[in-house]
Amino acid sequence: MGSYILRRLLQSVVVIVGVTLVSFLALQAGGDPTYLFVSERASLEEIETTRRALGFDRPLHVQYLTFVGDLTRGDFGQSLSYRQPAMDIVLEALPATIELTLFSMVIALLLAIPLGILAAIHRGTAWDGSITTFSMLGQSIPNFWMGIMMILVFGLYLRWFPISGHVPFIAPMMNGEFGVALSNLPRTLLHLILPGIAVGTYSLARNTRLIRSSLLEVLEQDYIRTARSKGLPEMRVLIHHALRNAWLPVVTIIGLEFGFLLGGVVVVETVFSYPGIGRLLFAAINQRDIPLVQAGVILLAGIFVLLNLVVDLVYVRLDPRVKLAEGRA
Amino acid sequence: MNLRTHVARAVSAGLLGAVVVLAACAERAEDTIVVGLSADITTFEPGMISSRDNSNIAEHIFGHLFVLSPEGEHLPDLAHTLEISEDGTAYVYTLRDGLTCHDGEPLTAEDVAYTFNRIGDPANRFTGNAPGFVFTSIGFQGAEALDDLRVQINIARKNAIAFGLITEIDVHCKDSYERMTLDEAASNPIGSGPYRLASWTRGSEVVLEKVREPGNFQRIVWRIIPEASTRTAELIAGNVDIITNVVPEQIEAINGSGRAEVQVVAGTRRMYVGFNLSEAHRQMPGGEAIQDARVRRALQYAVDVPTICRQLLSIECERATGPVNPPNGNPDLTPYPYDPPAAERLLDEAGWARGSDGIRFPIRLQAGQGRYVNDVNVVLAISQYLQDVGLDIEVDFMEWASVYTPLLRERNTGPLFFLGTGGGVWSPIYDMTDMAEVGSGTNYTQWDDERWFGRWADLAEAATPEETRSIIDEMLQVFYDDGPWLHLYFQPDFYGVSNRIDWQARRDERVHVFAAGLK
Repeated sequence: MGSYILRRLLQSVVVIVGVTLVSFLALQAGGDPTYLFVSERASLEEIETTRRALGFDRPLHVQYLTFVGDLTRGDFGQSLSYRQPAMDIVLEALPATIELTLFSMVIALLLAIPLGILAAIHRGTAWDGSITTFSMLGQSIPNFWMGIMMILVFGLYLRWFPISGHVPFIAPMMNGEFGVALSNLPRTLLHLILPGIAVGTYSLARNTRLIRSSLLEVLEQDYIRTARSKGLPEMRVLIHHALRNAWLPVVTIIGLEFGFLLGGVVVVETVFSYPGIGRLLFAAINQRDIPLVQAGVILLAGIFVLLNLVVDLVYVRLDPRVKLAEGRA
Repeated sequence: MNLRTHVARAVSAGLLGAVVVLAACAERAEDTIVVGLSADITTFEPGMISSRDNSNIAEHIFGHLFVLSPEGEHLPDLAHTLEISEDGTAYVYTLRDGLTCHDGEPLTAEDVAYTFNRIGDPANRFTGNAPGFVFTSIGFQGAEALDDLRVQINIARKNAIAFGLITEIDVHCKDSYERMTLDEAASNPIGSGPYRLASWTRGSEVVLEKVREPGNFQRIVWRIIPEASTRTAELIAGNVDIITNVVPEQIEAINGSGRAEVQVVAGTRRMYVGFNLSEAHRQMPGGEAIQDARVRRALQYAVDVPTICRQLLSIECERATGPVNPPNGNPDLTPYPYDPPAAERLLDEAGWARGSDGIRFPIRLQAGQGRYVNDVNVVLAISQYLQDVGLDIEVDFMEWASVYTPLLRERNTGPLFFLGTGGGVWSPIYDMTDMAEVGSGTNYTQWDDERWFGRWADLAEAATPEETRSIIDEMLQVFYDDGPWLHLYFQPDFYGVSNRIDWQARRDERVHVFAAGLK
């Protein structure tokens, strides 16, 4: 197990370096970013001075290798727009996004499990039809549109929830300000409801369908028929025999879900003026703040790779038939 | 019902109650004004600030030697008098007595000199508007404190707009800044303005607290709300008092809400279609045609600017006559009317008659998109007007930041290109300096008419305001007749203002709330 984890972690370094290279080239392909950092009335001489100050006068490979070299020393560089360490800025925005992501996941899971089960055990009924239709709608409606509609209905007309903004909970906790965090909590949740639903609806719909189809497949298995023929109560068959086996594909998706949600909140964070990592990176990309984008991408890639590993380990735990490839690449 | 069910129900009820109570308590205090901005704030380092949203906040924190009134007049702020040396290269400001910094230290001439020298120090590698535009424009040489209250700023040569440009510098306080690293200074502004920074939650909000007059509110909250429809919703819901950059499609919703209204002001940004007259562009289709001033004049008659304003920008506008913002333009010039027959006649006279296919000549019109109000539709309308008089227009839209801007800065857009450049209301010369030299980086058209460029020396030597005005008017007449711009309009700026607030938007994109108050 230990060597497996070590090998996976080493592989993840290669993945992360690859990700930095791709994002670096993609940002550079957009042209010289110097112009975004000078006044619109700047002279050609001033533009050249700024280009040198920002380091964009150096050949691309030198810029990239310098970045990777600094990275090995734990230096992610300075944000070009904020003029502060890039990783510090990303880490400052991360707690808000984690709050949103966790909240969305909770919504997606808490509702998806009962809905999926309900649809599966009432297959072909009006229950099943309604839940399946809801799931299709949830997967089809773009989250930014849903966000704007919810702002209009629940924020503007009904005035039940705040339209935009964020009240921190995790950040004060991390600073040891537990009193502040607890007093913030109700307002944190209030600010999370609309963006959380906007982000989580797609996952909710997908998870519902996944749980339904996975459970339907399991319910057809011989061992379920055997359990029923033994006279076990239906609820016991469902929970102890069917659900446990139906969990496997769901765990895979849910494990990766956090990573997907983390990287996929950009639009919703923008719509709700939510100061998370998605909006930060979106602005950084527009501003071609390359060190900031790189720091964010590395962090997200790292989280994603780590989640993959955790999912694999959980998978083994859930299904004894699955073995880790200890000695193989 | 078991214990778990009771607990679950109690928690649910409590949460719902909290939601309702908190929603009801969302009213703002009367001593607080909330402004919704469209762009993020990246720094409070005076040497690095380059965006308007950023400087709007900074201008409340930092004092300035003089300040610009909405009418374009420079009024005393930290300084109360200015003396300029005979050769025009030394500006001596006398500060008001008893000024203090936000750190409690007295603000003296030494702080002002330190401010200028710190911003101008190449070792700091600042790239903001102050070192990147102001200092290079005035040829900043250095600053020195003559005594506690008098500071001298030295510039390389006589400059008619140096005084106005110097007012843009955010004065900061030496002792505090000497103690801070550049990183620390970027988020801990220590100024001497009417407000001090209370908190900054990056990407979310900036809160300022009042420390001195002027200012009617104790707190100003600047909220960052990038999405236009969310800003509008927050304004209508009563959570924000002023929002910037209202999109024209939402004007009706705001005005119809009964809670807020849209203020439309003709901004100072000059919108135009440039004619790139460079040798390289002469070789392109249509490039030769626009070298002829008669063709450029003909195209002025071909575009119906007031209709574009009415239909696409939701405002009534008067067409621009040149690069200078009203009321500083040449009063004798009248906007070109929409007169297609006149355009056709002039094109015929210039030797560009319609061919058998009805085409006079093909030409490319380049534009960035998403930068200006309704820019794509404006460009399409212009191209249609030009096609109507026989031009075969190839419209080339480009991504603004990564494609169009580099081309523009290298002066390679064209032969026709759509652009808006910032201007001011405090000096006609400021608006004209885009084209102070043929080789100037902002002379995107590469126009080289000696009747314009040859007069800058005369302007510098003009002895009286009347003489200066006369030279300016002559230059603007040349620009109007044979210039390198197809004149359009001054871009309107749209602000949403809550009905509880008494505040008037300015033309120069500055959002100052010192004078704002409750109705």
